Amino acid sequence: MGITLKILIVTLFFNAVEARPISYSGGHTIMHFNDNMKESLYYHYSPSYKYSFGIENLNDKVFSKSDSYLRFTYLLNRKNKKESQRNLYFQSAFSPNDSNNFYGIHGDWETRRLFVGFGYKKIENIIDYDDKFIQLGIAPYLGKYGDFHTWLMVKTKKNSLNKKQTTYPVVKFFKGNVLLELGYDKKTDWDIHLMYRF
Amino acid sequence: MKKLLFLSIFTSIIWAENPHEHMHHSHEGHLHEQLVDGKKLEVDPVRFDKFVMGLENSQIAVVNVQGMVCDFCARGIEKTFKKDKNVKKIDVDLSKGKVLIAYNNNQEIKFDDIKEKILINGQNAIDMTVLDL
Repeated sequence: MGITLKILIVTLFFNAVEARPISYSGGHTIMHFNDNMKESLYYHYSPSYKYSFGIENLNDKVFSKSDSYLRFTYLLNRKNKKESQRNLYFQSAFSPNDSNNFYGIHGDWETRRLFVGFGYKKIENIIDYDDKFIQLGIAPYLGKYGDFHTWLMVKTKKNSLNKKQTTYPVVKFFKGNVLLELGYDKKTDWDIHLMYRF
Repeated sequence: MKKLLFLSIFTSIIWAENPHEHMHHSHEGHLHEQLVDGKKLEVDPVRFDKFVMGLENSQIAVVNVQGMVCDFCARGIEKTFKKDKNVKKIDVDLSKGKVLIAYNNNQEIKFDDIKEKILINGQNAIDMTVLDL
């Protein structure tokens, strides 16, 4: 039970921080994630739009412990069109202090109005398992550059550990360098994700 | 907490507002949407006029860019061009997919240089028109 819970926490954590995995060239990103079980801080730097590397720290509220991860993300493919962008990323994480690692892919297609994202990852832990999600979104209005932006989204996720599929609403607010994402599910409660890019 | 989520959505909506060419063009204080060769420029006239306000002895590179879908794309491009000492002013119009870059009149504008700057941010510049003010 303890191991299951621990792995579940790590799974939820990875789900939260994989949004916007690479910044523009020379961009720094700080992400903060919090819910009733954990709090995490993730920093990454993108020397190029093609890859980013960073470090993240997870404070586990359940076990009252923290762990650090090294992260690397690589853009496998990007297709730019006049009104859309499509991306496919490779993602990985490695914990020097523990045996927790993961690798996977993350994809998205986005216009100024619509968003479709998906992810699949294999987590190597005491028990190996995989995790997948799909996220759909719509912007209720189109703001100009620098305006306050809003996305209304729905996310569905499933992992092979608990075999349960959860689908829940997510709302994303975005202005300037700051992004705030809120998700709520009856089973997993609130996901709160704050990001600052500079 | 659900009420808080719905309130947040509601509040945000309430807050919201609602091929390489080099062409010399006499601007005379306002934007002609159609250039002398009949080609449409397709820039937002109000936005363009605001951009050129106060600019003298300048030339404007109007660049068509693919893949600009969010503010982060725009911010990366803006940051890159602001580091260039030759750039007097820059404006990114996400809705039209255009980047306006103001240079001094005596500055040679190289599309390859602009293309490279936009590419390092992950977008593609597909063509450019230069207007003299």
